[in-house]
Amino acid sequence: MKNSKILYILAAAATLAVTGCEGFLTNDPPLQQSTQITLSSYTGLNKATYGAYYYIASTGWYGQSWVINAEMRSGNGKKDSYKNSNRCVAPYIWNYTPDATSGMWSYCYLTVAMCNNVIDNLEGKAGGDVTEQDLNNLKAECLFIRAFSHFCNVLTYGQPYTYCKKSAPKSLGVPYIYHTDPAGKPERETVISNYENIVKDLLEAEAIIDPSYVRAGTADAAATVNISTIQALLSRVYLYMGEWQKAADYATKVIDSKKYKMWTAEEYPDVWGKEKGSGEVIFEAYGNITNGAWGSWEDISYLTSPAGSGDPMAAKPLIALYEDGDVRLKTYRTDEKEESGLLWTAKYPGKGLNTPDANNVVIFRLSEMYLNRAEALVNGAQVEGATAWDDLNVITANRNASAYTSVGNVDIQNERRKELAWEGHYIYDLARWGKAVERNAADYPLCTANLNVPFPSNKWALPIPKSEIDVNKNLEQNPL
Amino acid sequence: MKKIISVFSALILATAAIFAQNQKVTGTILDSGSGEPVPSVAVQLKGTSTYAMTNDLGEFSIEAPATGSLVVSCLGYHTAEVAINGLSELKIQLEQDKNILEDAIVVAYGTVSREANTGSVSTFKSEELAQVPVTSVDKMLAGKMAGVSITSGSGQPGSTSTIRVRGTSSINAGNEPLWVIDGIPVMNSDNRQMSSFGVGGGSSTTFLNPNDIESITVLKDAAAASVYGSRAANGVILVTTKSGKAGRAKFTARAKFGAQQLINDHNYRPLTGTELLDYLRTAAINGGYNPDDPTSDYYYPQTLLENGTTNWYKELTRVGFLQEYEVNATGGTDKASYYASVAYHSNEGVFYGVDYDRLTARINADMKLTRTLKTGTKINLSYADSNSGQMGDLYYSNPQYAMFGILPWTPIKNEDGSYNMDIAENSQTNPRANAEYDINNDKEYRLQGSMYLEWKPIKQLTFKTNNQVEFDFVQSRQMRHEYTHKGTATDFEYNNKDIRLTTSNTITYDDKFGDHSLRILVGQEAMRDKFDLLGAYSPGVDPAIPYPTTGNGETDQVDFNLIEETLLSFFGVADYNYHNRYYVQASVRADGSSLFGSKSKWGVFWSVSGSWNVMNENFMKSTRHWLSALKLRASYGVNGNNNIAAYRAYGTYSPINYAGATGMAPARPENPNLSWEKNKTWDLGLDLSFFDDRLTASGDIYFRKTTDMLLSKRVPYTTGFGSNFMNIGAIRNKGVEGQIEGVIIRNSDWYWSVGFNMSMNRSLVLDLADSEFLSVSDSRAGSNDSTPVRIAKGRRLYTFYTRDYYGVNPSTGDPLWYDENGALTSDVSKARYVYAGSPEAKATGGFNTTLSWKGLSLSAYFEFVAGNKVFVADQNIGFGADMNNNTTTGALNYWKQPGDTGVIPKPVAGCPSMAYRASTFNIQDGSYTRIKDITLSYSLPEKALKAIRMQGLRVYVSALNPYTFHNVKNVMDPELGALGYSMGASHPMTKSFVGGIEVSF
Repeated sequence: MKNSKILYILAAAATLAVTGCEGFLTNDPPLQQSTQITLSSYTGLNKATYGAYYYIASTGWYGQSWVINAEMRSGNGKKDSYKNSNRCVAPYIWNYTPDATSGMWSYCYLTVAMCNNVIDNLEGKAGGDVTEQDLNNLKAECLFIRAFSHFCNVLTYGQPYTYCKKSAPKSLGVPYIYHTDPAGKPERETVISNYENIVKDLLEAEAIIDPSYVRAGTADAAATVNISTIQALLSRVYLYMGEWQKAADYATKVIDSKKYKMWTAEEYPDVWGKEKGSGEVIFEAYGNITNGAWGSWEDISYLTSPAGSGDPMAAKPLIALYEDGDVRLKTYRTDEKEESGLLWTAKYPGKGLNTPDANNVVIFRLSEMYLNRAEALVNGAQVEGATAWDDLNVITANRNASAYTSVGNVDIQNERRKELAWEGHYIYDLARWGKAVERNAADYPLCTANLNVPFPSNKWALPIPKSEIDVNKNLEQNPL
Repeated sequence: MKKIISVFSALILATAAIFAQNQKVTGTILDSGSGEPVPSVAVQLKGTSTYAMTNDLGEFSIEAPATGSLVVSCLGYHTAEVAINGLSELKIQLEQDKNILEDAIVVAYGTVSREANTGSVSTFKSEELAQVPVTSVDKMLAGKMAGVSITSGSGQPGSTSTIRVRGTSSINAGNEPLWVIDGIPVMNSDNRQMSSFGVGGGSSTTFLNPNDIESITVLKDAAAASVYGSRAANGVILVTTKSGKAGRAKFTARAKFGAQQLINDHNYRPLTGTELLDYLRTAAINGGYNPDDPTSDYYYPQTLLENGTTNWYKELTRVGFLQEYEVNATGGTDKASYYASVAYHSNEGVFYGVDYDRLTARINADMKLTRTLKTGTKINLSYADSNSGQMGDLYYSNPQYAMFGILPWTPIKNEDGSYNMDIAENSQTNPRANAEYDINNDKEYRLQGSMYLEWKPIKQLTFKTNNQVEFDFVQSRQMRHEYTHKGTATDFEYNNKDIRLTTSNTITYDDKFGDHSLRILVGQEAMRDKFDLLGAYSPGVDPAIPYPTTGNGETDQVDFNLIEETLLSFFGVADYNYHNRYYVQASVRADGSSLFGSKSKWGVFWSVSGSWNVMNENFMKSTRHWLSALKLRASYGVNGNNNIAAYRAYGTYSPINYAGATGMAPARPENPNLSWEKNKTWDLGLDLSFFDDRLTASGDIYFRKTTDMLLSKRVPYTTGFGSNFMNIGAIRNKGVEGQIEGVIIRNSDWYWSVGFNMSMNRSLVLDLADSEFLSVSDSRAGSNDSTPVRIAKGRRLYTFYTRDYYGVNPSTGDPLWYDENGALTSDVSKARYVYAGSPEAKATGGFNTTLSWKGLSLSAYFEFVAGNKVFVADQNIGFGADMNNNTTTGALNYWKQPGDTGVIPKPVAGCPSMAYRASTFNIQDGSYTRIKDITLSYSLPEKALKAIRMQGLRVYVSALNPYTFHNVKNVMDPELGALGYSMGASHPMTKSFVGGIEVSF
C-alpha cells in the first residue's frame, strides 16, 4: 500500500520532468536583445543608430588616442622625464609596427557594421507614427558615421589624398564596407576611391536628412548628427582633397546657418570641460564616466593632466607661435607646484565628476570652418562676400591676437595650428600639405628615434594591424 | 548479497533452561577485530518488537525465551543472529563490514568495492587527509595523486587553486573538474568581487572544513566520469562528508596556531638606496647624461641618500598569523546517527590589509524511518570574510607591485608621524596608508543543504531521491578613503547571490545469480541556477558617511547582472561481473542544457569499460603468497564540457550608455549550433599489490582527444565583430601516470612507509580551424605588451611566443636579438618572433614518507614540477627605461665592461634599445621541488589516555612550504599558475609554521 503510493509519486514526477523539457531548457538572455528583434522595428533601429556613436567617444578614438597620437606625432606634443608613465611613446617616436600600430581599424569597422545593420534593415519600417523621413534621418546619421569612420581609417592607414592624387594614384587606402558580410574578406581600395565613397555617402546623407532634425533625448545635442555636421565633414573632406571651391562652399553653409557662434576672448579660456557643447561646437565626442566606453585612467582628461598621467606636454615650438596676450595661451597649464616649467594642454580639464574624470572632445567647430574657407579662398576658391583675411580675423579678433592685413598660406597654416592645437588636426594638415615633421632634440626630450620625418615617406601610412591581416589574407600590408 | 559471517558465542556461566518462558539474558558485544566493547548496538528478539541497546561498555539486558534468538545490528558491522540456547549470559563478537569501512570506493551514484572498480580513480580517506594542517581541501591534495595537478596563481589567504585532471582539455570552456559533494554536483564559481586572486580557480573547496571530509575520489577516465555527461570532461571530484557513527557521543577538539611569511627562498627584493643610486647614476652616465648636473634630465646626486632610506619590502609586509579552532561530535543509535562540527579559521596575511576569517558548521544526520525507508540530511553553513587589498592588479596600491617601484629614499612617514602621501613615483599612493584606510572586503555566506529519502522495498531494489539547495551570497565593498585618494572618497557596494536547486533521483537494481552479479541504475537529474548581481558605484561620497546615500546622484552608477542556467539529464549505468573475475560496465547519459544553441540542446554521452581480476583465476593460486592483487583495466568513453558562459548562442544587441541615453550595440553574432566540447578518452590501467598489500602500485596510460572545441576565433573586423565563438578545433592529451606505495617497516613499535607518484602529460593542438594560432589573453597583462602565451597548431597547448633574444653585445653591453634572417640586430623592432617552450610541465608528482615510533611520527611531503618554462615579465627590470622607480635585485647583474658575458644589458637612461620589450630573455626553466609539509606529531598511548579518560590526544608541529628548490630568477616563487606567467603583481605563495593539538573524548 505504502509502496504503491510512492510509485505513483515517482511516476508523476517523471512525467512532469519529460513534458516540461523544452521550456525548462530555454533561457533567453534577460539583459540583451536578439539581433533580429533589435533590427525589426523603428524603435530598435533608432536605438541601434544611437549605439553607432558609442565608439567615437572611446579612448581608442576621439575619447583620447585619436587626438593625442596626432599631437604627439606632429611636433605639437612632447614628452619629458618630469612626468613619464611610458604612455604615448609610439606616436612620439613614430615606431609603429604591424603588431603595435594604431587600433583605429577595429573601431572603424565595428562602427561601420552598426551603421550597415541599420541601413540594410530600414526598408519597409515606415507606418503608424513612423514616416519615411524618420527612416531617412536614421539613414543620414548612419551614412555620416560610416563616412566619418572610413575617413578616420584612411587618414590612419593611407597616404594623404593630395599626395596620392599627384604622385601615387594606386596607393592603397582601406576597404570601404557598404554591406557587412560575416564571411567577407575584403581587399583594400585605393585612397582615391575611399574619398570618392566618403563624399558619396555624405552627399546622400545631406540630401535626405530633415534640415531641422536633431536627435531627441540626449544629454548633449552636439554629440549627434544634424545637417551642419554633415556639411562640416564635407568641408573638411574636400579641404583634405584640395577641392578648394567645394571646401569653401560647405564651410559657408555651416557659417551661414547661424547656428553656431564664435567664442569670444573672454569666453575662450572657460569653454573647455563643459557638460555639453555650445557656442562654436558643431560636433563632439561626449565624455562622461557614465559612458560605456569611458576610458577611466586612460581618459583624455587624466592623460593630459599634470596631476594625472601627464605624459603628453606642449612643445616649445608650438607655444612660441602665440603672441603675448593671446587668450589661447590660457589653454595651457603648468604643474601644480609650478616647478617644471612645462606646459600641458588645458582643453581637457575634466568635468569635475570624479578622479579620473571625463571630458568632451570637440570634433568640428566654427573656427575650423573659417580656417577651412580661408585656406580655400587663398588657394583659388571664391565665395561672394568672403575673403581669407576677413575669415582669419574673425578668429584673431576673438583671441586677443593681432589682425592680419594680408594673408598667405603660411599665415593660414600657423593660425590653423594655433587655433586647433590639441584637437587632433595638425598632423593631417602637415600630411596634406606634404610637409615633413621637423623636431630638434633640445625641444623634444626622450625622442629617441625619428626626430625628423620626411615627406613623402612610408611612415605617413601606418601599418595595418598584423592580427587583421592574419585572418584576411586579401589585405596587403603597407610598405614599412 | 552480504555474506553471513561467523559469529562466536561462548559460554561463561550456563544454567540450563527448563521452562520455555522468558528469562533475563545479559551480554556484552565486542568488536571482533579490536576486542573493544561496541556501544549503541541494537539487540532485538527475533520476530518480536522487543529490543535493547548496549551501553558504553557494550552491555545489554533483554527478556527472552531460552529457545529464541537475537538479531544484533549496528551501523558499520555485519548483522549477526545468535541463538540463546538457554544461556543467560552471552558474549557476542561483531565483525566490521569492510565494504563500508575500508574497501568501498565512492564512485558516481554509489560505491563499489576496490576489486570491482573498472575505471581510473584516485582516492583519499579521512585518515590520510587529516594529517596535514592546511586550510582547504585543494591545498591538501596538491602533489598527492597521479594525474591530478593542483597549482595556484596566488598565495593570498582564502585564494583558490587551479585543478587539472590529466592536463588541460579546453581553451574557452572551463577546465575545472566537476565537484560532487555527497552525491550532488555543486557550484564552483568564485563570486567574490574584490578578491583579485589571479587566474582560474573554483570555490567549491573554500567553504568546506577539511576535517569534515570522510573521503575524496577523483574520477579520471571516461569510464569513471562519463555518467556525469556534459560536465565530466575535466574529471570529477567526489567528496563524501562524515556520517555519524553509532555509539556514545564522541567529541574531538582541535586548535592550531601558526606564523606565515612569503616564500622567497632566493631573497628577491627591491634595491637598497645605495644599490639603486649607483644603478641610476650608471644608467644616466650610460645615456650620456651627467647625474650631478641639476639641470640634467637625470639628476641623481649622492645627496639623495642623506636623509636615510626606507626598506619598502619590510615596511609593507609583516609576519602573518593563523589560528584555527574546531569541535566536532558524532554518535547515534541503530535508528539515527549524527555528525556535527563547527570550525573557525583566521589568517592575518603577510601584507597589511590582507586577512581572511572563516566560520563553518556542518550537521549530517541519518535516520531509519521504517524497515524499508531511510532519510537523512546534510547541511553545511559557512561564512567567510576576506580583506584583499589590491593584490593581483597592477595598481599603485598593490603592495607587491609598489614595493619594487617606490624609491628607497622616499620615506613611508612624514616627520609628524603621518603617512607620506607625496610619492610621485607611485602616483601619490602609499600602500601602507591604503591598507589602513581603504576597504576591499568580501563577505561570503554559503549554504549547502540536501535531504535524501531512500526506499528499499526488496533487498535488490533501491529508490533514492536526493534534493539540494545551494545558496551563495556575497557582499562586497570597496571604499577608497579621501585620505588616500586626494580628498575624494568613493564607495562601491556589490551584492550578488547565486541560488542553485538540484534534484537527483535514481533507481538501483542489484542482484546476484550464482556466479553472475548485476547492477543496473537509472536516474534523472535537473538543475536550475540563478545568479544576480546588484552594485552601486558612488564617487564623491561624504567621507564621514562613506556610503552611496551621500553620493552625488549624477555620477552614481548602478551595475546589474542576471544569469540563469538550466540542465536536465537522464542516465543509466549497468555493471556485470562473472565470478569476481570479469567485470564490465556501461554508462549512458543524455544532457539537455540552456547554454547551447537552439539546434543542439541535447547531447548523449557514454562509456564502456572492463576489468580482469587476474588474481581470482585458479591458475594464480600458487602466487598468492607474494602477489596479493593483479588487475587489468580498460575503458573508452565520450563525455562533454559545457562549462561556458550563458547566452553565448544568441546573436544579441546590448544596451550601451552614451551621452546620457541608452542605445543598442551588437554584442555577439548568432550561433544556433553552439554545442558541447566533446572528449573521447581511452584508458588502460594495471593495479598490483604484493605481500599482503604492503606494496601497492598502479599505473595508467591514457589518450584523450577534445573535439568541437569552443573557440573564440579572431575574425576580420570588417565582419562587424573582432571574434566569434564557435565549435571548432581539437586538442589531444596523452600521458602515463603511476603511483606506488610501500610499507617498509611495520612492527609493534616502528612504522615506515614511502609513497611516490608521477604523471607525464603531453598536450598537442591538433586543429584551430583556419587559424594557425590563438593569443591567450590574461586580464593581468595590461597594455604594454600583450601576453606572450599562444595556442599554436602542432604545438603544446600553451606555448610562449616572443622576440628572439640573443644576449648582450659583449663589447657594448647593449642587447641583441635575432632578426628574420638569423643575423644579430640591435633594433628591437627587427627582432624575429619564435616559439620558446611551454609552461606545461613534462612531469609532475610527489613523494611522501612517514616514519613513526610508538606515538611519535614524522612525515614529509614533497611536490615536484619538472620541464616547464615560465615567463617572468616583472616590469621593474627596465634596463633604465624607468628612471623614476626602484628596481629589483634581478637588475644588478648587468654588463659592466667589455668582455662581460652571462649578464643582462647595461642600464641606459630612457632605454632607447627597448630591452624591456618581452623576449626570450624573460623565459626560464620553471622546474622546482617543493617541501610541501614536514610534520612531527606525538599521539598519547592508549594506556595514558585511559588514565585521563580520553580517546585520543595528538600534538604536532608542521612546516608548510618551508623550502623550495628552483633556479628561477626575478620572482619570489616559481609557482606561477597554469599559464606560467608572472606580472609581478600577484600575492606570492606563503610558507607557514604551525603547531596544534587535537583531543577526543
